[in-house]
Amino acid sequence: MSRTWLKWMPAVAVPAVIVAGVLAVPLQAGAAVDLPDKTPQDVLELAAGSTVDTFSGTIEQTSELGLPEIPSTGDAATAEFADALDLLTGSHTVRVYQNGPDQSRVQVQDTMTERNLIQNGADLWLYDSADNTAAHTTLPADTGDRSAPGYTPSEMADTFLAEVAPSTEVTLGENTEVAGRTAYELVLTPNTDDTLVGSVSIAVDSETGLPLRVQVEALEAAEPAISVAFTSLSFDAPPADLFVFTAPAGATVTEESLPTKDAAGHPEGETSGVTVTGSGWDAVVSVPAGADAAAMAELTASPLYSQLTDAVDGGRALSATLMSVLITDDGRVFAGSVPVERLQAAAAQE
Amino acid sequence: MSDKTVSDRSVSDRAAPESGPAASSATAPTGSPRPGGAWALLVSELTVLFRRRRTWALLLALAAVPVLIAVAVRLSSQEPTPGRGPPFLDQVTQNGLFVAVTGLIVSIPLFLPLTVGVVAGDTIAGEAGLGTLRYLLAAPAGRVWLLVVKYIGAAVFCLAATLTVVTAGVLAGLALFPVGPLTLLSGDTISLAESFLRALLIAGYVTVSLLGLSAIGLFFSTLTVVSVGAMAATIVLSVVAQVLDSLPQLDWLHPWLFSHYWLDFADLLRQPIDFTSFGANALLQGGYLLVFGALAYGRFATKDILS
Repeated sequence: MSRTWLKWMPAVAVPAVIVAGVLAVPLQAGAAVDLPDKTPQDVLELAAGSTVDTFSGTIEQTSELGLPEIPSTGDAATAEFADALDLLTGSHTVRVYQNGPDQSRVQVQDTMTERNLIQNGADLWLYDSADNTAAHTTLPADTGDRSAPGYTPSEMADTFLAEVAPSTEVTLGENTEVAGRTAYELVLTPNTDDTLVGSVSIAVDSETGLPLRVQVEALEAAEPAISVAFTSLSFDAPPADLFVFTAPAGATVTEESLPTKDAAGHPEGETSGVTVTGSGWDAVVSVPAGADAAAMAELTASPLYSQLTDAVDGGRALSATLMSVLITDDGRVFAGSVPVERLQAAAAQE
Repeated sequence: MSDKTVSDRSVSDRAAPESGPAASSATAPTGSPRPGGAWALLVSELTVLFRRRRTWALLLALAAVPVLIAVAVRLSSQEPTPGRGPPFLDQVTQNGLFVAVTGLIVSIPLFLPLTVGVVAGDTIAGEAGLGTLRYLLAAPAGRVWLLVVKYIGAAVFCLAATLTVVTAGVLAGLALFPVGPLTLLSGDTISLAESFLRALLIAGYVTVSLLGLSAIGLFFSTLTVVSVGAMAATIVLSVVAQVLDSLPQLDWLHPWLFSHYWLDFADLLRQPIDFTSFGANALLQGGYLLVFGALAYGRFATKDILS
């Protein structure tokens, strides 16, 4: 009997060891990180003074926005909409290579496909392997001074704190570790209860001041609603041939020109009539009825519209963990990081 | 050899394992008194496996997949459009090497698990069903070594199956389409020599992907003497794992499913090459191998061999 028991031992021990290992790894990562004490002001200065422009790393983006999963099949318009939404709401692995200010490459990795954005001097390439298309554009010669005029890191930190102070509490969280590097964590907490945002935390590399992770927590969710974080990071210069891109044979290449800007610095053709009520976290953006009637009609006709929104008093509302949108029966649109009730109140006021 | 000797052996193996070749092989399979005998078992297992007509039928069926794809695309009058059909299909007409990649993508969800399930499910149960298991155990190598040999046989078949798909795909591509420098997912182009290297890497990735399933098949095979049952259970489990992997409600479970990284070999077609999924996949498959290897050992070492 005991021999039998002995022979079953590995079958019990192996899963036990695996479970122990799985449990131990996060514990280790959560161990206290010891760093010199700093004030939020110091950390802001550190971040503002960061001069890192050569690195390569992998960024993991996850979103838990509380939106229903949108099927990527279906008609073309729906698929296109789902694609655009997916960039914002889906989970992505992105590889980033940066070599000085003029060379960079961003790779958004999807299953079996990849989207690439490559900047090499004035050349900007966009390549999408899903439909084998490449777009090229030439960047205008940069005449502007790169460094923000007249601001030292400490002045920038001051300005930022002064700007956000009335609406936001800026504190330092527990020191943390991101992508194997120690980091300070700045936590921005809204002073108002009238927003869906719980807090925004930014992990700042303790050595270089590079932001390593940004997380947005919603009030009523356990998981961060948005998390963008490095999972690996190296400050070595990436290989130079990575930035030399020529469109592959057989790809459809288009030459694009950048949208010109008018005197005020706004892109041409921007819809006017958008108003923002309030400032800070509980601001509400409203679009008057008929601002873009054609797009509106197309939107409300889409089967996704009724799927995504719920009927509420005075219209239909979409509520996600971080954002609410209210489309009133008379065609006005209200949106903000606030509960739907506040949008309804804003709609009633106008 | 009579029944009596076998059951005697079986009893002595269980009652006094401190003495006798079976026990020493349990602690150190290669350190048994007659290592030549142990290696002979491996050689004979592989010879038997690759002399079976069934093995060749399975490999031929796998080779047919990329060939069918290539012929269908060649004969079709319309150009495949991007985004329709399996990934990379639209690239096939431009570069024949993509036949191999498309062939793998099509084979991974069903055909490869099917063939691996047949071979892995048959390992122990097949011998038991034929009544040859006791003769194998009468060889002085012991039960652990027999289990290891059977698993190695299944793993070699995984490699052979994957290489068959890749080789048939490359040959079909060479025969029917132009072959040249390969465009990677990142838009970069690599030389023909490097393309073959990447194809081999992908074959390695897919082989590793199937090791976990082979271990599961080996365990199921120790549970029964009806090999069809073990085969079916293995294949069904591979389908169940893939169904679970596609349900967003179970996303906490996904990284633990052996099929989770099956299609991530595309990471080997990026520039610079991304080995993250290769590592994660190898770790996961290693975990399955340890767990189900230990389970198979527990079952097989304590089992009464009656046939």
